[in-house]
Formats: sequence, structure tokens, C-alpha cells
Amino acid sequence: MTMQDKSGPYSDRHFNHTPRRNAEFITPPNLIKGKVGSGGLSEEILNKAQALLESSAVDFLPLAEIYLGNLQNGIEVSQTPTDNVSHEYLISTMIYPGMQLKANGRMFHYPLITTMADKMIQFLEVIETPNEKAVEIVIAFHGTIKMVIQARIQGDGGAKGRSLVKALEGACHRYFEKYN
Amino acid sequence: MAYNFKNLSVLIVEDSRPMMDLVIAILQTFGVEKVITAENGSEAFKKFCTQKPDLIIADWMMRPMDGIQLVQQVRGHPDSPNKYVPYILMTGFSEKHRVLKARDKGITEFMVKPFSVRDLYKRMETIIERPRQFVRSGDFFGPDRRRKKDEWFNGQLKRETDVTPEDYMIVNTQKRGAKP
Repeated sequence: MTMQDKSGPYSDRHFNHTPRRNAEFITPPNLIKGKVGSGGLSEEILNKAQALLESSAVDFLPLAEIYLGNLQNGIEVSQTPTDNVSHEYLISTMIYPGMQLKANGRMFHYPLITTMADKMIQFLEVIETPNEKAVEIVIAFHGTIKMVIQARIQGDGGAKGRSLVKALEGACHRYFEKYN
Repeated sequence: MAYNFKNLSVLIVEDSRPMMDLVIAILQTFGVEKVITAENGSEAFKKFCTQKPDLIIADWMMRPMDGIQLVQQVRGHPDSPNKYVPYILMTGFSEKHRVLKARDKGITEFMVKPFSVRDLYKRMETIIERPRQFVRSGDFFGPDRRRKKDEWFNGQLKRETDVTPEDYMIVNTQKRGAKP
């Protein structure tokens, strides 16, 4: 195939291909580089900042309770959907608070919550219909995360934490075996 | 020699106060002295227009304007004082379709929460040392979405400047002065 021959696999005449676009490239001035100079940051500064992050005294529990409350609302909305709401919307009512739990858990010393919420998000990202059985799985996640918070289980929760995560994963697998 | 962040101004957009405080503390440890804060996208855009920060670090999920809507304003609003400003989006979402959505709206870097100090530093360092060109193409304006050059790419050619692997070889052979 030559430059003139565009009928091969690279052709842009394929019915499913959008026409090629004219791209204009712009190189903006690197203003930040001019301000900060060169050489990077020392390991000492990075370690100091990481230590500060890890020793943060923020109490995650009030924040977690807000997110759990939002998740509970999402569960209730999904259990009693009205005709004019989409499945996507119903799933989003549960996925957004789940994302907050995932994002904030480990930042504030509750990595087990991040792990559990991550599993829940993965589940919600895959399902297409928030049917009764799917919502039951979310209820199980909600209850387990709530228990972790109430028991103030910081860190990964050890063997108990691992077994809780495994049980939640098992519930998800059983759902997919049955409904997918 | 090391970076001197003293003259760098950073706009942080985050609706969670504890998370905001953590990011501020990290940046201050890096040496950033001018930190501007906003709790949502609309407040942030006003501050961006008046205070013209060098860098924006924004959460995704906020109301009334989220981090994706904010980047669209920054890149496309007539009042935007710097359409090329580097933009780091923080979020708990890590699924590919969400990363692609953010990328297609013009963000510079994507950072998944929970994150470490080095995760944030790595993105800042990339912005300083390896800034990307901007591309204006059809309905897209933002940092070049192609981070890697694949000489053997055999998918759909989307830009008029794109070449097939064969064309690439011909051009490079000719550049070296040999007959193709």
C-alpha cells in the first residue's frame, strides 16, 4: 500500500469512520516553569508532606455519616422508583456517595472503607438495572461500611476486614452468576 | 537547585473542608505561598478570572457547578483569562469511561482519590517539565489527548496530519536521504 492508496485497513472511507479533522496545534508558554525553576522537590520535603497527610487529625466519622446518609437515600429512591426516572439516575444516587466514601476513607485513616466502597462502585458501574437484588447488594455494602465506622475500625481491619471484603465480593459474584 | 514554589499561585476547588485542608497543607509543605480556595465551580471561575492562578486543582463532584463544567468554562468562556492553565482533576472515580470523559473536556491531569503526596507531586512535575501542546480540533480544545506516539498504530486515523505506519516509514526514510 502506498501513500496514494487509502483503500486498505487504514482507510478513512470506512462507513463507521468519522472524517479526519484538521487539528491546530498550539504551544502555550510554560509560565509555571518560568516561576518555579528546575531541580524538583527533595525527598525530605515529600516525606514531610506525606507524614503530615498520614498524621492528619481530621475526624472522618461525621463526614462518613453524611455519605452513608446519602447512600441510604439513594437506596430508598432505588427501592421505590417513579416512572420518570432512568436506571442511570437511580444508579448514580448510590454511586456518588459510594465514590465519596472510597475517595475519603483512606485519606482519613479508614482504608477498609475505601476498599469496600471501591468494590461497591465496581458493582454499580457494571449493572444496568438497579433491580431488587442489586439494591440488596448495595444494602449489604451500606450495612458493612456502617459497622466499620461504628466500630471505628481503622487500617485494613486485619483478618476480620479481609473476611468482610471477601463476603461482599462473594455476594457480587453470586449476583453476576445469576443475572448476567 | 530545587523548585521554588514561593511565587506559584494555586486555586483549589473542593467542597469537602477536610479534604481542602489536606491539599492546602501539602501545597504549603511544598512551599506554595499563594493558595486560593473555592467550594464549587462557579465560585472558582469567578476567582480564576480575578486572581489568575497558575494552576487549578479541582474536585469533580460539586454543586452547583462541578469540576468538569469548570474546566469547560476555563477552556472556552470568553472571560477566561488563561485558557491554557494546567488543570488537575481529583476524583474517587477511576473507571476508564469516566477518565476519558474528563480527558475529552480538556483536563490536563487526572488524579484518583485517595492519593499520596507523590501522586500529586508527580502530576505537578509532569505539568512543569513535560507540558503538552494544546489542540483545537472540531469540538475539542485542550491539552493533546495523545500522550504516546505509536509509530505502528493501525487504528482509525482521526487527524489530517495522521499517517499510516507505511507512510511514516516512507517519510522517515526520505528524511534520512535514502530511497524508500
